[in-house]
Formats: sequence, C-alpha cells, structure tokens
Amino acid sequence: MRGLSEFCRRTGMWMPHRLVLPLALAIGLAGCATPPPADEPDAVAEFQQLNDPLEPANRVAYALNDGLDRVLLRPVAVAYNYTLAPGVRGMVHNVLDNIGTPVMLANDMMQGKPRRAGDTLMRLVLNTTLGAGGLFDVATDWGWPEHDSDFGMTLAGWGLPEGPYLMLPFFGPSNPRDGVGMAADMFIAPTGYLPHGPQNTIFSYTKTAMSAIDARAAVIDDLDRIKAQALDPYATLRSLVRQHRQSKIDEMKDDNRQAAPAAWAVTPK
Amino acid sequence: MLNRRQFAFLACAGLLGGSVLPAVARADTADAAGAFIEKLLRDLSAVVNGGKPVADQQVALRKIIFERVDVDAVARFCLGRFWRSATPQQQKEYTEIFRNVMVSNITGKVGEYQGVSFTVGKAQMREDDVTVASIVNRPGNAPNKVDWLVATTSGAPKVVDVIAEGTSLRLTQRGDYTAFLARNNNDVQALIDALKKQTTAAN
Repeated sequence: MRGLSEFCRRTGMWMPHRLVLPLALAIGLAGCATPPPADEPDAVAEFQQLNDPLEPANRVAYALNDGLDRVLLRPVAVAYNYTLAPGVRGMVHNVLDNIGTPVMLANDMMQGKPRRAGDTLMRLVLNTTLGAGGLFDVATDWGWPEHDSDFGMTLAGWGLPEGPYLMLPFFGPSNPRDGVGMAADMFIAPTGYLPHGPQNTIFSYTKTAMSAIDARAAVIDDLDRIKAQALDPYATLRSLVRQHRQSKIDEMKDDNRQAAPAAWAVTPK
Repeated sequence: MLNRRQFAFLACAGLLGGSVLPAVARADTADAAGAFIEKLLRDLSAVVNGGKPVADQQVALRKIIFERVDVDAVARFCLGRFWRSATPQQQKEYTEIFRNVMVSNITGKVGEYQGVSFTVGKAQMREDDVTVASIVNRPGNAPNKVDWLVATTSGAPKVVDVIAEGTSLRLTQRGDYTAFLARNNNDVQALIDALKKQTTAAN
C-alpha cells in the first residue's frame, strides 16, 4: 500500500483554473452527510470514527476522479508499464524521488527528527553524485532507506488534527491538514524557484505528469483489486488511505533515534 | 516467629513474585505467538514455493487458513455492530459466506506469491493479543512491513488480523461492509446477498 499515499500526493497540478469554481459549486451542492440520531450511540460512534461528514460531496469528487482515471490515467499507466522495462521505470522513480528530497529534508528538520533528516541528506548526496543524478538509489543499499516526509506530517507532528476526510477533485484523498501541507510543500520546493522561462515550464509539467504516471503505475494491481473485491470501493479506499497515513505519522513520531553517540546524549525522561 | 530480616526478605520475594511472574507469563505468550507466526510463514512459503500445481496449492492454503486463522472471529469483527442486530440464521449464513470470500481472496492470488520470503521480527503484547512484526519480500517488489495480530485467549494461538504497511485488513473490511450497509438501510440480508453474488461471480 506504500504507493497509494504517494499516488494521492502526486496526482495533481493539471486542473485548468477556470474549472475550479463550477466544480466547487457542483460538489458543494451535493452537501453534507446527515449525522445519525443521538439516541443511537453505536451509529454516532461510527459516524465520528469514519470522519467523513462531507461524504456526499466527497463521493461526487470520487466519481469524477474515478472517471478520469478510467479514461486517462490508468490506460496511460498500463501502457507505461507495458512499454518500459522495469529497470527504466525504476530509474524514473528514483529521479523523481531525488528531486523531492530537499522538501523532505526541510520537513524532517521541522519535525525535529535529526536522524531522519540525516537519512534524507545522505540520500540526496549519495544518489545525486554516485547515483548519477538520482538515476540509481545507492543510498538504500547502503543503509539509508527512504521514508515518507511532507508538511502534512510536519503539521501532524506539531499536534494539528487532520480535520474531516476530503476527496479533492484531481488530487485525490486528503484532509484540510494535508491539503495545506501539499500547498506548503510546493512553496518550499526549490524547483519552484528556478528562473522563469520555457525550460522551467517544460520541466515542471514533465515532472508533474511523470509523477502521476509513476505513482499510478505502481498501484495498478492494488487498485484493480480494491475495485473488484470491495462492495464500496470509495469506503474501502477511505479506510486504507487514512490508516496508511496515520501509520506513517506514527512511524515518524516514534522514530526517536539519537542524533549524537549514545554516550554523549542526555536521555530525555 | 520470623525475625525482621526474614520478614523483609519474604515480603520482597512476595512483591517480586507478584510483579515479575505475570510479566514472565506475558513474555512467554509473546514468544509463543512469535514462534507460531514463524511456523505459519515457513509453512506458507513452503506451499507457494513448493512448485506444485496451483489447485493443490490452493487446497493446502485453505487448510492452513482454517487451522491458524480464527476466521469466525474475523467475520464477527467485520460485521461490527450489525452482528448483534443480525438473526441467528443470518449470522450463520454470513459467517459461511465470509469464509468463502476470505479463502477465495487469498488463494486467488497464490501465483503472485511465487518466490516470497519472510523475516519474522519482534513479538509484542497488545492488550490481550500479540502483534508479531515481519518483513515480506517478493521478487521485484519493495519489502513490505506486515504485522500479524495473534489472539491467545482461547488457548491455541490464532491469527485475527493482518496489518500490511499500517493498514489493518479487518478494519478495512469492516469499513467496506458498514459503508455498504449504510447505503442499504442497514439490512444485513442485503450484505449477505451482495457477498453471495460476488463469490458466484468470482467462481
């Protein structure tokens, strides 16, 4: 399931701006879910646990995303897997990862996780140099594996609650915290500060398109299976995405490896 | 009469016994669950890597699942609060069909697990159950973190949940069923019918 959250994080950026308002209106019209009556405690507990008060609107956005996926993204991803050798696809994935490391590094530091920041820094340095500009992931083989890190996780580490589940059109499953995080990460990304010009435009569109294809291609079998086996794929995806995201946040919070040799460190009590 | 030193000694021993013994028992339970998962994974990889025809592998897997997984408990969990509102007849019918769904979901992808290998990690008590960590390696895939939730309360250890990359299978399944029920007037019979249709379509 690792691919799912990555897929959700990366699929975006191709929405024409003039579509935003009508879409928001159409989805807003679908409205809110009706909470169950207060005298049914089990039903109320379930409603709160699902954390999806905007479910009707979210389902509209899901239908839109699902339709686009069927006609566009999934066929492209299938063709991508079919035409390119696994090794080449691996390199594409590595390059995209490597471009993302500065943002991860910033977030690792803001999360107050020095060892995770160290891992990311080693990945950036090793993969950019020995890994030939990020084509090869030598760092993983040498003991600096990849982990998830973004501003949504940073906000979670700072204690901000996730807010209600949101299915964003084009961007996929999210919540207010991760939505803000996504925007902040775009702002932090050094690639956003390249000089303006046609090269920059081509670079950013290529990166976005390749990210979407790379992430979608990695979850073809998983998503196909969910859609075939689930009675309610929307609900199944909601459950999977929220659990997976929470586990990544817990993993980050629980990573309390020491930054200094153990003998120097003052163990916090 | 006990002198003061003897009394203090006995009191300490008593205190220690009181606090250490349950901890030892818990450690034993965790170790037993760890060994149970180790054996389960060894048996599973022996089946999928054994090179027998797929049909034989599916029969062997089915046997392992019913021996080592508390399928009925998982079925009850997945129905959540609707288990109590179901009639005994519905409970029986649902459990029966759940067994079929679960087995066909697992045995249906047996071919994909060719070449799989496992490393078993730490076993830890979590309330009454034990979670056993493991890493699943499949050729051509990144290693997956899979935790096994083992219930030990009923005597023999049994698997009651599988947590793959932080996502619990039984929680996800329950989310699917409750969402379906919410959209079908909380009618357990509708769920049973839908599951039936799904298994007949799959076979």
